[in-house]
Amino acid sequence: MLAKLRLFGRLALIRPRFAAGYVIVVIVAILAILAPVIAPFSPTAADSLSFLQPPSGAHVFGTDNVGMDIFSRTIYAPRIDLTIAILGTGLSALLGGSLGALVGFYSSGRGIRVWLSFALMRAADVLQAFPIFVFAIALVASLGQSIQTVVLAIAFVNAPIYLRLMRSQVLSIRSMRYVEASQVNGLSDFQTIIRHVIPNAMAPVLAQLSINVGWGIVLTAALSFIGAGVRAPTPEWGSMIAMGFQNVVTGQWWPSMFPGTMLAVTVFGFSLVGGSIEVLADPAKRRLLLRDVRLHDMARAAKTAERSSLGPV
Amino acid sequence: MPDLFTRMKLGSSRRQFLQTTAAAGGAAMVSASLGKGEAFAQATGDTLVIAAPATPQGLDIEFDVSLGSIDTLGALYEYMLGYEKMEDPNAPGVLREDTSVHADKPNNMALRGRLAEAWEVSPDGRKATFKLREGVVSNWGNPFTSKDVKWTWDRKFNAKGQGLFQTAVLGLTSPDQIKIEGDHAISFNLDKPTPILLRQQCNLANPIYDGTKCAAVGGSDDPWAINFLKNDSAGFGPYRLTQLVRGQQAVFEARADYWDTKPAMKRVIMREVPQSASRFSLLQGGAVDIAQFLQPRELEALKSEKNVAVDAVNASYMIWLELNAKIAPFDNVGVRRAVNLAIPRDEIIRTIYYGYADPQTAPMPYIYPMVDKSFFSYQYDLAKAKALLDKAGVGKGFSTTISYNAGDPTQEPIALLIQTSLRQIGVELTLEKLPAGVFYENVTKRAKPMIFYQDSPWTPDPGYSLYLYFNSKSYVNYSNYNNPDVDKLITDGLATLDNAVRLPTYAQVQKTLMDEAPWGFIAYPKYTLARKANLKGFTYYTSNNLRFQDFTRS
Amino acid sequence: MRVLTYLAHRLLFIIPQLLGIILVSFLLVKSVPGDPAVLMLGPTATPAAIANLRGALGLDQPLYVQFFIYVKNLLHGDLGTSWQTTRPVLDDLVQRFPATLELVTLSLLVAIGVGVTLGLYAAKRPNGWIARFADLYGLSVGALPDFWFALVLIFVFYTLLGWAPAPLGRLDMIVLPPPTVTGALTIDTLLAGDLQAFGSALSHLALPVLTLGLLNAGPILKMTQSTMEKMLESDFSRYEVLCGVPQKLVIRHALRNALPSIVTIISVLYGFLIGGAVLVEIVFSWGGAGQYAVQGVLNSDIYPVLGFVLFSAIFSLIVYIVVDLIYVLLDPRISN
Repeated sequence: MLAKLRLFGRLALIRPRFAAGYVIVVIVAILAILAPVIAPFSPTAADSLSFLQPPSGAHVFGTDNVGMDIFSRTIYAPRIDLTIAILGTGLSALLGGSLGALVGFYSSGRGIRVWLSFALMRAADVLQAFPIFVFAIALVASLGQSIQTVVLAIAFVNAPIYLRLMRSQVLSIRSMRYVEASQVNGLSDFQTIIRHVIPNAMAPVLAQLSINVGWGIVLTAALSFIGAGVRAPTPEWGSMIAMGFQNVVTGQWWPSMFPGTMLAVTVFGFSLVGGSIEVLADPAKRRLLLRDVRLHDMARAAKTAERSSLGPV
Repeated sequence: MPDLFTRMKLGSSRRQFLQTTAAAGGAAMVSASLGKGEAFAQATGDTLVIAAPATPQGLDIEFDVSLGSIDTLGALYEYMLGYEKMEDPNAPGVLREDTSVHADKPNNMALRGRLAEAWEVSPDGRKATFKLREGVVSNWGNPFTSKDVKWTWDRKFNAKGQGLFQTAVLGLTSPDQIKIEGDHAISFNLDKPTPILLRQQCNLANPIYDGTKCAAVGGSDDPWAINFLKNDSAGFGPYRLTQLVRGQQAVFEARADYWDTKPAMKRVIMREVPQSASRFSLLQGGAVDIAQFLQPRELEALKSEKNVAVDAVNASYMIWLELNAKIAPFDNVGVRRAVNLAIPRDEIIRTIYYGYADPQTAPMPYIYPMVDKSFFSYQYDLAKAKALLDKAGVGKGFSTTISYNAGDPTQEPIALLIQTSLRQIGVELTLEKLPAGVFYENVTKRAKPMIFYQDSPWTPDPGYSLYLYFNSKSYVNYSNYNNPDVDKLITDGLATLDNAVRLPTYAQVQKTLMDEAPWGFIAYPKYTLARKANLKGFTYYTSNNLRFQDFTRS
Repeated sequence: MRVLTYLAHRLLFIIPQLLGIILVSFLLVKSVPGDPAVLMLGPTATPAAIANLRGALGLDQPLYVQFFIYVKNLLHGDLGTSWQTTRPVLDDLVQRFPATLELVTLSLLVAIGVGVTLGLYAAKRPNGWIARFADLYGLSVGALPDFWFALVLIFVFYTLLGWAPAPLGRLDMIVLPPPTVTGALTIDTLLAGDLQAFGSALSHLALPVLTLGLLNAGPILKMTQSTMEKMLESDFSRYEVLCGVPQKLVIRHALRNALPSIVTIISVLYGFLIGGAVLVEIVFSWGGAGQYAVQGVLNSDIYPVLGFVLFSAIFSLIVYIVVDLIYVLLDPRISN
């Protein structure tokens, strides 16, 4: 365990951007958890006596047009945004991924399963051809504004991505020997899929997941901006940006800028994390990375040796 | 046979609906492309250019009460009667209708004859005879006769639109009750006397049509000229329509053969500019004379502009919360009173309306005759509110939903302020934002415990206004308020012309209503007009519309 | 000949695909609450009047009948009427779709310019500072919500600096729009010889195009960089270098081979942006088709939504066919 941490530390040194990503994600997570402790004001208390005040000592990020404290709302928001994005993305990966695995496995062979997987692929085509905002808004409009609905909208919109991803992974894995071997050994299709196919297909899915969580946060914010996201006054970066939207033109930048920056930084962090998973999961890239780590270790060892001895080794 | 007021049509809510969806400048708004059509004619001396949230969808009040439509009615059409104008005591330079009760004037009202030159109401109040003006011609050249009035009211019985309400509200059950007494004389014969008979002749919803033209143009297929009147006018007003391109603009021209003083503005261009921020910048830049329906924040910003003036007048608008008497815990009067004590009206008016509103202190518009504001006892007092909740048995607090219109940018912030305030007495509100269409469905279905509503009753009469919202038989009584005593008082007050009886009756009604608090009373938003500083003549009407013929340039 | 049969196959497939899309959107839009008859007549309409109107609109029929009626009208070119604008949806879309198309096309050109250029340089020198900058750029730009970035640009360039015009549409209100030929203001103003209008249109396009262009350059950049790197490391490139072929030519050949992937991502972006630009359209009050559809959903105005979905689906499908044709032209292996 300790060795792994130390390895991680060395990784952070040679690829600072990965470190940055993890640091950001951890900080945002901490903020989300500790928000009730840190926030100076309630995130949903409208204090009209101090509406639209610029950043000051009392209100570090200023107040919005009904007097809610922007700092408190900005650090409470990750609770909602992260929850929705993680749940939505997770659900889409589960849904899309499992369907994709089935489709990939059965895309050639006998009878009705082939037709079903073909039909599923065409259905995914239709879903992807749909303008995504119209689809998400219609979903939220028909099911009502709530966290569950937004999660569902994100899940639906992202599922085809995982469907295709899993399918292409499975297609390439299916031709592998070990799959044939497991089938020869008498494992049922289902067991083969669970035990051999999916674990080997997971790597790119995981990378995609992290990036998608970031994108899920953006989609949640976008839906709230249009008015089809979470209900007021739930602190959520997108709806905060929407509420402050009118004021940007008249010079009051703080209601929109602070939540927007937090949003961008958080999504950036998730993208970096996704990038790091991509490298770690891809065996070729991982080898390159570990080679760099070894080179770095050797350079450091050489330097320490240099310093501790009287002359070059 | 509709019994009195059963099938009420307010005539104002759809335009409110379209006002709130089209006029707001929020994130999700209708925005027409500015591709085709003429650009703005520079506002020269006798051309009036108006930036409106929407062009008229239809010109026929029978079927269309959109914002653009009601602003054209007063210019295209003439009415039997009108109110005398007086200066607005609170807004310098602004005129308004004198709708008060005047004991020294005929019929106790300050009326002016328009298409009707003289009139007489029988002592029992059941017959009104009008002597009609001679020498008036329509925009199609047809002379005005009693046949036009008859045709107009016959249409109300047959077209199956707003007319059903207009006839029911007067107690008219058959077209035969309107009798032609001569070429220029007509009489209304009622079964029961009603005090609003003359006022309804002034109501924007009762324009007089050129029956000759309409009959000719409709033929046997469309005897009531429904298709024709949607897109053109046939009336006796000071303007005619020259162009209507929906979604873009409507152009009107003053008529040389108008019977009264010819308007100063010979040409009027109504341009559709859906975003209030765009209308704001057009006025700021001097491209238009009037920018309609700006947000309070934008009006504030205009105060510092030299070439722009903002008129704000006390109006017939009201905004309130329907507290549904059929949904717990609002079936308990103590709870309703507690809510009223916890509504931060002054905060709302200051923060959201920037002062362009007054607190609502009566269950009817505060500019109407016989309004009584003395029964208001809901000054902000959280302690009192908590005590009332305790007494009602919900001292521990309760949670419920407050629903608001996504298309009206003032409702969400008001809901937020109310939510914060009510939280302090243990009432947890969940805000429910509804898209405009769903919102109105929920209002009419009376499905929600707390839902906003903004409206204005057009006829300046206490009986009319109170009946609409509080009589248990009224279609528009969205709060499900039901008090048989109040019902009786309201209808009694509508069955007599004697103001000495009506005044105490309606005082009693208002006292009871304020006591029983069927509504969460919020505010009386003012009617505002943002205009070029050199544009004079603005006159306020209780139907909350403009009449182009009022305007002159100084 | 093979190209023609391929084309014919693809075109044939469009019909069932479109039908599928229309069916899905029809069902979706019908599930949104809100009764159009109530909305058209106003909240105080009598139940009788509402029932009357519902019958006239065909809303009392079962869903499949309504669907058949809609499709039948479609075949006659009738996309229905929007109750909000009271105009035929086809007219509304013909007015608004070019606005979106102009915005998206120009943005994509900017994105291609930035993305491909940066990607090429980054691939050429994988350890240089351009490559690092490109990496960072790709990552950060993917994190920015487009509506927020648009707000930042408005704040900086309009509120603070005053360089950009107010975010209130495609033209200054005072300027006369040119006669409509294509619907794209940049083209139409030039065709009409109206330089003032052209300038106004360009100045209004500046910020939204910058927003969408810079943000969407990211994926293009990444794709260019990664495919070019692969191509430059592949056997044929190495062989060319060994043979002493000048670097410019090596890169050009590698680019030619990398084009299919780059073109793929551009086409995907193109299709996506038609509906995906709606937030930017809203921020800049563009009057585009995406905005029109979103308004339709929020106000239970179903025909605009269906019309928009149809338009954008047809557009995407055409883009994909064109792209596949380009593949055939680009890749000699396919056409043989």
